[in-house]
Amino acid sequence: MIDRKQVGVSDDNKSGRTAREAAYIACAIVVIAIFAYVFTDPFVVTLAGYTCALALFALSINIILGGVGEVPLGQCLFFGVGAYGAAIGMGKVGLPFELAVLIALVLSVALAAIIGVITLRLTGAYFSIVSWGLTGVAMVAATNLEEITGGPLGLFGFPPIEIGPLQLSDPQTYFAVTATILLLTILFLVALRRSPFGAAMNSVRQNPHLARSVGVDVARVRLKAFMLSAPFAALAGALAVPYTQIVTPEVFSVANTVDGLLMVLLGGAQLVVGPVIGAAMFTLIPQAMNLDPNVRILVFSSIIILIMMFAPGGLHQLGVALRDWFGRKIDDDRSR
Amino acid sequence: MTIVVAERPAVSARDIVKRYGGVTALNGVSLDVQEGEIFGIIGPNGAGKSTLFDILCGITVPTSGSIRIMGSEIAGMPPHLIARSGVARTFQRTAVFAESTVLENLLFGRHASFHHGVLDRIIGSKTFAGDQQAFQARVEEVLTLIGLDGERHRKAGVLAYGVQRRLAVGIALMSDPKIMFLDEPAAGMNGRETTDFIALIRAIAPGRTILIVEHDMAVIRQLCGRALVVVDGKPVVVDAPHHVLSHPEVVTAYLGADDDE
Repeated sequence: MIDRKQVGVSDDNKSGRTAREAAYIACAIVVIAIFAYVFTDPFVVTLAGYTCALALFALSINIILGGVGEVPLGQCLFFGVGAYGAAIGMGKVGLPFELAVLIALVLSVALAAIIGVITLRLTGAYFSIVSWGLTGVAMVAATNLEEITGGPLGLFGFPPIEIGPLQLSDPQTYFAVTATILLLTILFLVALRRSPFGAAMNSVRQNPHLARSVGVDVARVRLKAFMLSAPFAALAGALAVPYTQIVTPEVFSVANTVDGLLMVLLGGAQLVVGPVIGAAMFTLIPQAMNLDPNVRILVFSSIIILIMMFAPGGLHQLGVALRDWFGRKIDDDRSR
Repeated sequence: MTIVVAERPAVSARDIVKRYGGVTALNGVSLDVQEGEIFGIIGPNGAGKSTLFDILCGITVPTSGSIRIMGSEIAGMPPHLIARSGVARTFQRTAVFAESTVLENLLFGRHASFHHGVLDRIIGSKTFAGDQQAFQARVEEVLTLIGLDGERHRKAGVLAYGVQRRLAVGIALMSDPKIMFLDEPAAGMNGRETTDFIALIRAIAPGRTILIVEHDMAVIRQLCGRALVVVDGKPVVVDAPHHVLSHPEVVTAYLGADDDE
């Protein structure tokens, strides 16, 4: 007889899973609400909002890294397009924030399509290096197109940033908006992971040859994943502007992408919320410990080396490994 | 004398030549594999049989010659489209998706026949439900066939080698292919695993055409109706395995190969 529960896609299991997921979402909303209304220190709340924007960027990176297994060293290009798009749209053209962001998102997808078609024929280090190189081009352009980008000094002094009636200059509102967008993104990524396209991405990451042999168009999956990741990075870039209040050519620095990669690796690339955990640690720990930016690099580099050595799957894997280890220890003790 | 009605061959290759720079890996290989046949390709190391195999399933493009699968030319067709036209293959190495469970591996195998998208999944549309039902029915069939019913939630990477090979066949079976290419399926298997594997191939053979590249002559002898011997990139003989193995040129080739080892 067939045990339907074992199939993992059967109805019993699905309703159980739906209930559990509803509980997770409810928890997340409660946490967001409590955080926004219990912590009243504007600095902490704004930083939390900014952390959500960074987490969004880390999630975008992870669509490529954890999704199809390429290292997107050029992802800050889209972050920069979002940031500059919002800044130029608001500051230079006088568009409302949401319209400027929308245009930046569309632009980022178009850019990803062009770059993807050219670079995704290359895989591995080649893709990473070429996409990194393109961010260098963007940085030079942003530095020199002074009329549009404000040159090396960048753009600043924006009108009050608002989405409809929501004032993003208010810390609580800023946090609530970024956290909600982050939550919706996570839900989308969970659905994506379980969709046929998510399965196709996973198969491409693990074994492109075998994926091809079961009918997956590997090049197309890579391109679609890249185009899908771009608007999330751009959105992150735009949502960072209310916190930073300035956009300089530095947003195109590879250091930003590396920060995002570290967040992903810290939290774990194979867990949907891994990058979010990583982003939280990445901003909150240095603040809590009051670290000098230079010391911060040292601390995080050391942490990353340790994680890569002992838990290549990130902190999530470390947790699982610890649980298994304790479980085994208990079994051993019992068998003695 | 019986008159044989010429059927359309399932796989047909004409004058396949493959050169890598100055090296000729294959030189004028032709073959016809009839529908429903289990056909073996054998030869000493470096004879070009793996190259021939990759060319037949469209992974490698030949320098010249034509390959027809079910009557249509596949030269220049991308591998994923060949796969979607009812052709499945297994790989000698990296045969499974090691990080995923047995069940997920089979899900990946069904990729080409899914019709629903992310949105269908979120709203639980009819297309999604239909795909789910078809997948469940197929998955139970395949799990029973490959004997992995009890292992469905285990990670493929931790399974024993022989079991991974069975799973690889399972992945290929998910799309219910008409033609299967098996690349040294029994390589590295122990005696028991080989016996089980032969039984599995016999069980899935009805209604399919199967091509096997294999070193293990016992496998070829027990499974294949006919086998092609390739030596130094040239076809030597096509015949029933027991005839092929006593063919003078084949004997020389294999003894020569033994000397090299």
